[in-house]
Amino acid sequence: MKKNRAIPYEMVLNSIASTRELVERILPKGEIESLKLGAKCIEEVVEESLEKANEGAPIIGHHFAFQREYLYCFDCVPVCIEGTSYLLSALLPDGVERYYDLMANWGHPFHTCTSQKGTMGMTLDDLFQFDAIITPTAPCDNTYASYPFFEYENIPLVLPDIPFLHEEKSYNYYGKQIRLALEELGKIIGQKPDYDRLKRHIEIENKVFPLQLDLLELRKAVPCPVENIFNAIAAGVAVFASGTEQKLKFYEEYLEIAKERYKNKQQYGKEEKIRSIWPYMLIFFDLSLCEWLDREIGMSILFDIFNYNFYELIDTSKDLDTMYYDMAKRGMNYPMMKESTDFYYPFIENCIQMAKDYSADCFIFTSHIGCKQFGSVPQILREALRDEVDIPMLVIDLDVGDKRFTSMKIIRDKLKMFAETLM
Amino acid sequence: MNLQQDNFLKIADTITNPYLNKTHKKIAGYYCTYIPEELLDAADLYPYRIRATGNENTDLADTYMVRFTCSFVRSSLNLALEGVFDFLDGLFICNSCDHSRRMFELYDMVVFKREGFTKQVPRFYISLPHIISEEGFQWLCNEISELKDKMEKAFNISITNEKLNTSIELYNQNRKLLRNIYNLRLLEHPKLTGTEALRISIANNSVPKEIANKELERLLNYLKERDPIDIDDKKRVLLLGSIVDNMEFTELIEDSGAIIISDNICFGNRTIVDDVKVENNKNPLERITERLYYRLSCPRMMDDHPRRLEFVNQEIERGKIDGVLLQRINNCDLHGCDNMLFEHELKKLNIPVYNFDRENFQADTTRLTTRLQAFIEMID
Repeated sequence: MKKNRAIPYEMVLNSIASTRELVERILPKGEIESLKLGAKCIEEVVEESLEKANEGAPIIGHHFAFQREYLYCFDCVPVCIEGTSYLLSALLPDGVERYYDLMANWGHPFHTCTSQKGTMGMTLDDLFQFDAIITPTAPCDNTYASYPFFEYENIPLVLPDIPFLHEEKSYNYYGKQIRLALEELGKIIGQKPDYDRLKRHIEIENKVFPLQLDLLELRKAVPCPVENIFNAIAAGVAVFASGTEQKLKFYEEYLEIAKERYKNKQQYGKEEKIRSIWPYMLIFFDLSLCEWLDREIGMSILFDIFNYNFYELIDTSKDLDTMYYDMAKRGMNYPMMKESTDFYYPFIENCIQMAKDYSADCFIFTSHIGCKQFGSVPQILREALRDEVDIPMLVIDLDVGDKRFTSMKIIRDKLKMFAETLM
Repeated sequence: MNLQQDNFLKIADTITNPYLNKTHKKIAGYYCTYIPEELLDAADLYPYRIRATGNENTDLADTYMVRFTCSFVRSSLNLALEGVFDFLDGLFICNSCDHSRRMFELYDMVVFKREGFTKQVPRFYISLPHIISEEGFQWLCNEISELKDKMEKAFNISITNEKLNTSIELYNQNRKLLRNIYNLRLLEHPKLTGTEALRISIANNSVPKEIANKELERLLNYLKERDPIDIDDKKRVLLLGSIVDNMEFTELIEDSGAIIISDNICFGNRTIVDDVKVENNKNPLERITERLYYRLSCPRMMDDHPRRLEFVNQEIERGKIDGVLLQRINNCDLHGCDNMLFEHELKKLNIPVYNFDRENFQADTTRLTTRLQAFIEMID
């Protein structure tokens, strides 16, 4: 029996379990419900994963942009490279700085994304032993640049190629790439793709989709019935639990809570004074920011990039080619993939439309040092928002996974000052 | 003859040049070596590689690109915003890296929308695969074929196979001439420095190839007869990494006790070691695509590091290299990580390596000189 091949997953399990226990015991009913539900969901899935790993199931590392549910065509343990870095950066007292530093000392450039740097450092430290890693060739330079490190460490790398631009030919090409990649992955781990199993897990995701849309619709209400931290938790649930019944349950239960709040015109935290849209990521190294904004500033985060991009349903009733085509479409419309595999025009149009639909007062753009693919958009977006809907946008330069780049104090000060100008 | 004073090579020091003013052709600007230049030439366009040589100011561009973006791209955008590239009649962009691919939108939404700028500049985009595979090759063949159709429509022209074959010949000849010049650097007693080679390559990329080829022939004949350079006290280095469009940078290296014998950079070997095949039966556009796709890659090709390493090892042997300089423009993740792997791989082979970052314009020269001198002194 193989053991200890996914030690960071044990770290995730321990920290998420203690977080859940803490919030369940301390917080009264109605307080940060998304954290309670999300922690439970992730804990259960990670626990199952560790059991499987201990039984000898292959550990497949995957990019967050390669849908976790697709890997259920194998009997394996999917481990999200980026999710592991950032969930631990949120849960551990000093985040995963030790592993960032290990990689930096090994030569990984300081400006390259910490979402990969953390897990790379853990691999270098022999905490992970992946059987294979799969990543699409997107969404960013960090992906093309950092993943070859795993190959250097003798981990087989499978690379479904993803084209630029959303066209029929792109979905056809990427669909075939996913198929070839899964077949190649199967050869590496000595398994054949089990399509019935794959369909079952995709169908679970298909059931999640309308719930996500309902939640998005509820956020149009003033005050917003969804607490800020939900956005971060939902991102965690997506990368750790997609394709599972636990994720479905998370959305079903949280939707009921949000509906109840909506019905009672109940708000979370302080009186909602500012409605903000974060068109890019939240800050992962300190999720207490979300609560601080809710409770101290009265600023709602209506959604971030992981909570307004929803993919389409996958038709599992027809032939495999149709399913792969739909899988490609889902992949290319996944958060961050959608924006990175297209020009900025639809992104800007969407932002303007969302500002109108959700009565946003402002945008907050977290300009993450790793994300060069978004490095040219802030000013264009700022000008478009000013001209079209007359609302301002704050840009904060930071590393969303490392407090040492821009400290939480600086971030809070900026947000506070910005909020004061709005009120 | 001092090559720096050569009239043709002076072109390398400036963004514009007399040929741009004289030409009757439409000028097609492009950023990346993955743009099929032969196709542009066959369309009777003047292919012009956008660069930022000598520019130190990025004030205007900094408004539109965050500080984590590459200073080469920011610098070129600054020039564009100043109107320096207003002579362009077409713009060709591909998804080579995250920094340069977004120039498509920035030129469209900002540069070409400047007050007083009324010219309609057609823009073209190619989606390149990030891995090397048969499916990827087919994808790129379709992309290049579609590009041809779009160009024909935009410029109201017809790009025939005959024209493509003529351009292939012209470009193969150009690469051969440059290779012959570059080979004179590999000699035990080189005939030219790395800075001179870079100057020739940049000038070559700034003018139509029928003009460049005549100039390269002249320079090749001159260099063959030239006395070898005295390099007794210099270490022979191989230069790898990000784009270098600035001779001050290579001068700094060569003034620190080294001579650049070979390279794998954009204005260098990366564009000249592979030719378009002429002997097979495939149509010319497919052969152009074949070269483009399978040529010596840059790190944007995600699965091709082993082949790049093979080239590095080959050049180390061919050039009797004493040490390898791995440089990247700050914030370039692609070269940063590729260099990281090279550093480990070359150290295993006991090859002295120095891995550093820099800005596109020459800044912080004293510190960099000291570090380079220290590295060069450490080489046995």
